[in-house]
Amino acid sequence: MSDVTLVFLFALATAVATGLGALPFLFVRSVSDRVVAYSNAVAAGLMLGASFGLVAEGTVHGRVPTVVGGLVGVLFILATQRYLDRDEEEVVFEAVRGDSGRQMLLMVIVMTVHSFSEGVAVGVSFGGGLTLATVITIAIAIHNVPEGVAISAVLRPQGVSTARCAGWSIFSSLPQPLMAVPAFLFVETFRAVLPYGLGFAAGAMVYMVLVELLPEAFHQGRRPAVATLASVAAIGMVLFQAWL
Amino acid sequence: MILPMNLDPTLTVLMYSSLAAMTAVIGVLPQAVRGAPSPHAIGWANALAAGLMMGVAYTLLTAGLADRLAQGGVGAVLGILFVRGTHAATGTGELDLTRLHEAGPVYGYKVLLADTLHAAHEGIAIGAAMSLSLPLGISMAVALAVHNVPEAMVLGRVLLGQGTGVGQAAGLAVATNINQVLLAVVTFAVITAAPAMLPWVIGFTVGALLYLVLVELLPEAYRQAGHTSIALVTVVAMGMVVLLSGLGL
Repeated sequence: MSDVTLVFLFALATAVATGLGALPFLFVRSVSDRVVAYSNAVAAGLMLGASFGLVAEGTVHGRVPTVVGGLVGVLFILATQRYLDRDEEEVVFEAVRGDSGRQMLLMVIVMTVHSFSEGVAVGVSFGGGLTLATVITIAIAIHNVPEGVAISAVLRPQGVSTARCAGWSIFSSLPQPLMAVPAFLFVETFRAVLPYGLGFAAGAMVYMVLVELLPEAFHQGRRPAVATLASVAAIGMVLFQAWL
Repeated sequence: MILPMNLDPTLTVLMYSSLAAMTAVIGVLPQAVRGAPSPHAIGWANALAAGLMMGVAYTLLTAGLADRLAQGGVGAVLGILFVRGTHAATGTGELDLTRLHEAGPVYGYKVLLADTLHAAHEGIAIGAAMSLSLPLGISMAVALAVHNVPEAMVLGRVLLGQGTGVGQAAGLAVATNINQVLLAVVTFAVITAAPAMLPWVIGFTVGALLYLVLVELLPEAYRQAGHTSIALVTVVAMGMVVLLSGLGL
């Protein structure tokens, strides 16, 4: 098997792992406003923690590029929001209409877009040689599971089936294998772009958390419960990634 | 001037934590001339403080723990429980700090109590950040100095509304921050004497800061100024800390 095929398969495996994040939601049956709020809080914490990790890695490659990328990421979400709001037809996602449908669509867009940068990171780290490939693959696969949890936490309470949550989770990670291969082949070029990409992913996720997930969580849930879930999820995510 | 290299470390902590405590005056004095602050101004100040605090939490978490993750994790849970506990014990957990015009004495008492309790873990945060590095400590002090302004705006509004004089209201606003100065110096001294405490204290600080931002600063700010502007101010403030922390760490 050629190195390129190997990189693609490894990255594909990490994408599929994202689907495992839907599994905990097999047990979520009642769909109340509170469940929506607290799921949003968990998703917000996981994404906040994940972006801390992205920024930490980005600043290793370049601090200013990371922050510039972050700014572009924020602007990207702002523009996407404007576009979805302006659309003549009502947004319908998985048969959910209105604000909830719009938020679900935005969530899938944010997580999918952020996977492009992660794919570049995977490819660049494989570029150092394939000896560590298995270790890196397992680490990234495990790292992707909470991202699947975050997506499912937003989709599942709106009535999307667990299987479809897993499907959207995997979909959101498909850019990883697609970007990993060119990044592996042209390491030097992509290494230069990497901090911008990581910053972009972090900026987009943090802004999504601040403008959509947290306000939604506070709207329906009690403040101490939302704050506890989100802060524990965020710190847990950072420590988990550091441990990997 | 920003980096007084010759100053004794403990005095440096004392100086910066005192400066941070005194910014409360900025939240009160302008009200004597310009009347009640607009909810938008309080909201943006809260968002700025929230972003700075999350930025510092990021720096502490990713740069300060090294490999002692378990201690940091336990410390973080303790920090969250501490703030949660003090809120629950005093009934200030879901205190709505936007009721500036219908404030009764009980409300005023709760605001005073909430501000005083916050100053405790804020002091620990300054001490912990200072013992990691001077620039990080200064970033922390700046974040809390900014946070003290909207805090004092609300307290000042309540006190002035009840007929307290401007000077006395400003004095009280600063007084609620006194334990911030004390705990900053004590925390710094304890970590210097027992460096093994560092991951615990950093974990505690990060947990307390993140929880405080999420339970109080952000939900209030959203109500005061709307989602989009608050999200923008917060994320830009976080980016500023990420940029600045490169200068020192």
